[in-house]
Amino acid sequence: MSNRVLMVARRDFVATVSSKGFLVGLLVMPVMAVIFLLLIPRILSSTGPQIRGELAVIDPTGSVLPELRAALSPAALGAAAASNGPRAIPPGGPPMGAPMGPGPGMNPGLTPGHAPPVLTIIARPAGSDVQQEKSWLIQPPKQEPRHLALVVVQPHAVVRAPDQADFASYDLYVSRGLDDATETVIHDGLRRALIASRFKASGMDQSAVQATLRVARPNAMIVAPAGEQVARRGLSRALPFICGILLFIGVISGGQLLMTSTVEEKSSRVVEVLLAAVSPRELMAGKLLAQLGVGLLILSMYVGLGILALAQFSMLRLLDPMLVVYLVAFYAITYLVFGSLLLSIGAAVNQIQDAQSLMGPVMMLLVIPYVLTNFIGMAPNAPFSVALSFIPPANTFAMMARLASDTPPPAWQVLVTFAIGLAAAAGAVWFAAKIFKIGLLMHGKPPNFATLVRWARMA
Amino acid sequence: MELALEIHGLRKSFGSTLAIEDLELAVPRGTTYGLIGPSGAGKTTAIRMIMSILFPDSGALRVLGRASALEAKDRIGYLPEERGVYRRMRVSDFLTYMGRLKGGARAAVITRAKRLLERLALADAWNKKCEDLSKGMLQRVQFVAAIINQPELLILDEPFGGLDPVSVRLLKELVSEEHARGATIIFSTHVMVHAEELCEQIVMINRGRKVLDEPMSGLRRQYDTRAIRFEPLDPAADLAALRTLPGVERLQVTPDGCEIRLTEGTDPAAALRAITATAAPARIEFARVRLEDVFIRIVAGGESSEESHQALRTHLQGLGTEVARA
Repeated sequence: MSNRVLMVARRDFVATVSSKGFLVGLLVMPVMAVIFLLLIPRILSSTGPQIRGELAVIDPTGSVLPELRAALSPAALGAAAASNGPRAIPPGGPPMGAPMGPGPGMNPGLTPGHAPPVLTIIARPAGSDVQQEKSWLIQPPKQEPRHLALVVVQPHAVVRAPDQADFASYDLYVSRGLDDATETVIHDGLRRALIASRFKASGMDQSAVQATLRVARPNAMIVAPAGEQVARRGLSRALPFICGILLFIGVISGGQLLMTSTVEEKSSRVVEVLLAAVSPRELMAGKLLAQLGVGLLILSMYVGLGILALAQFSMLRLLDPMLVVYLVAFYAITYLVFGSLLLSIGAAVNQIQDAQSLMGPVMMLLVIPYVLTNFIGMAPNAPFSVALSFIPPANTFAMMARLASDTPPPAWQVLVTFAIGLAAAAGAVWFAAKIFKIGLLMHGKPPNFATLVRWARMA
Repeated sequence: MELALEIHGLRKSFGSTLAIEDLELAVPRGTTYGLIGPSGAGKTTAIRMIMSILFPDSGALRVLGRASALEAKDRIGYLPEERGVYRRMRVSDFLTYMGRLKGGARAAVITRAKRLLERLALADAWNKKCEDLSKGMLQRVQFVAAIINQPELLILDEPFGGLDPVSVRLLKELVSEEHARGATIIFSTHVMVHAEELCEQIVMINRGRKVLDEPMSGLRRQYDTRAIRFEPLDPAADLAALRTLPGVERLQVTPDGCEIRLTEGTDPAAALRAITATAAPARIEFARVRLEDVFIRIVAGGESSEESHQALRTHLQGLGTEVARA
């Protein structure tokens, strides 16, 4: 590699990474990630006023009401809140992709640190007129105590009707403005009360049945010649997608910066001054190299953050270091393919707005494989996944997703993907070099794809 | 004679437009060549091909003894017509970068850049960002970038465009210094005065074709024998009488006297005798051919045929009567 290529690369790299825009852009993603992963669940779980008010219940069965009082007692609600807290991390770490904070189905009104609801139950006679009772829910604003809801337990909610397979349930009428969290608290209480009532009515031991139904799922152990290893089921579900994101972010960052800097050099007319000192090929090589470095810098920052996060949860041993090596190698290939295309667009147009129409198809070629990584990770050895591993420019994304899965592909497939990727990169660089040589000094009407192909033939 | 530049049969077209047609050129080392021609004539295309920024459809060229400028870029200085800078870069970084790209050692590049900036009254600009300089100052910085590597071949495309007279004078001095150092200089310009002042040889391109390739000294020696400049001994002499002389087509009064245009076929010597017999002269001479006249005749005269090009060449070789047809 000529000294001039390295000088061009160095200048472009330094100019890019020292710009305010780059530094802000570099920090935005990690900051956003921290906000989404840490702050938002905390904000969601810690906000909102304490649920407080009255709940009218019409219980023709006579057995649900006592159970409901028990289920919605301050002690029971406090215990439910405690069980919604952060889970203890099991040996080997939590499954990847498990959300932080309240899990699915958890009530944000029942979380630790959040004042438990205070619900007063008002028993209404079993034969009350429901229509009349509903009017109880209509009350002037700010009147205390709040009339929250009217629950009408259906007659066969505890004991099934002779001709029915399922139990009946309950009807719920709520006041205007009752939020979803409060309604969920009421439903949870009624669910527990109805289950307890049904067990009592049937004469079964509830705790014994629940214990009978509970089967703990163990962490699978992979037995291999090298020894036993905990299967990273949760991690492997997320890892292909994470690898796809990393490839995408690295390529789009480096590629966009490459295109922008080329358009700037062309529009500021500095490019001809540069061409007096370096050949078009050297200039292009230097620019490609510079933004490859920028992309690698971005990639290493995200990979570094990921490794730190894994280390934080004592899960570092679950990450195969070779995966990082593959990521860097496939990133370089993917970058060369897409970076070359974006570079040729940058050389062909006069201003960044002109590039939009040409960028559309290139972006589609980049986004589709990235979206597919999630599905490829789920079925890494399906014929579609295997076939996609050999079709550029999707091949690097597909292979990366498969390598990150629990059932990585055989080595020969990795090598074939690598070879095909290198050939695709060489083709893209060759095409870009031709466009670059002609486009840099072309001004006027922005070209379309047909013009680019004509230029490539001319050069 | 060692050549700095050799061009044979160079041809370049853009789509259906023929930009350069069969260009032949030989530039000896150490000479100063002026490339003149109207806008769109093909000067910049020719220069870009010399610099290997554009590539010819056919033909061959050798630059500083190499098959292409790509093999000799470190020895060539180039100031393009469409010149720019990295706006956010400091002048010091820009000049160092350009000098280093040209193969210069960092310390030597910095020393020379500072010295040249000082020559161009830009010493204060060293630590400034390019975007903080005026257009004229930037042009001078770009000129410094072109000569920072002490090139053997210096190619300047419209180097004085948009500059104030003081800057033009400073740059001309530097060009002359580069020439005195031994550099071969090729520059294109629209301003004939600059070409006349600096060039040893004039090459004119019109509509992609070379229509003139003559030494400036030869051009200076040529006279237009149909144009006579006359200054009477007596400032009050009646010049109107000259109008009636045989062979006088037109008479134009000037502050010092008049300029007389003869009809085609008039014997110049007989005309001189008739004029001096009518009014005593303080000075009488045939008008010298000015480059501007040549330029205008070729460009504005609508000449595109080989005959008219040949007529002009013949005229410049001494047969002034041929020019009258142009």
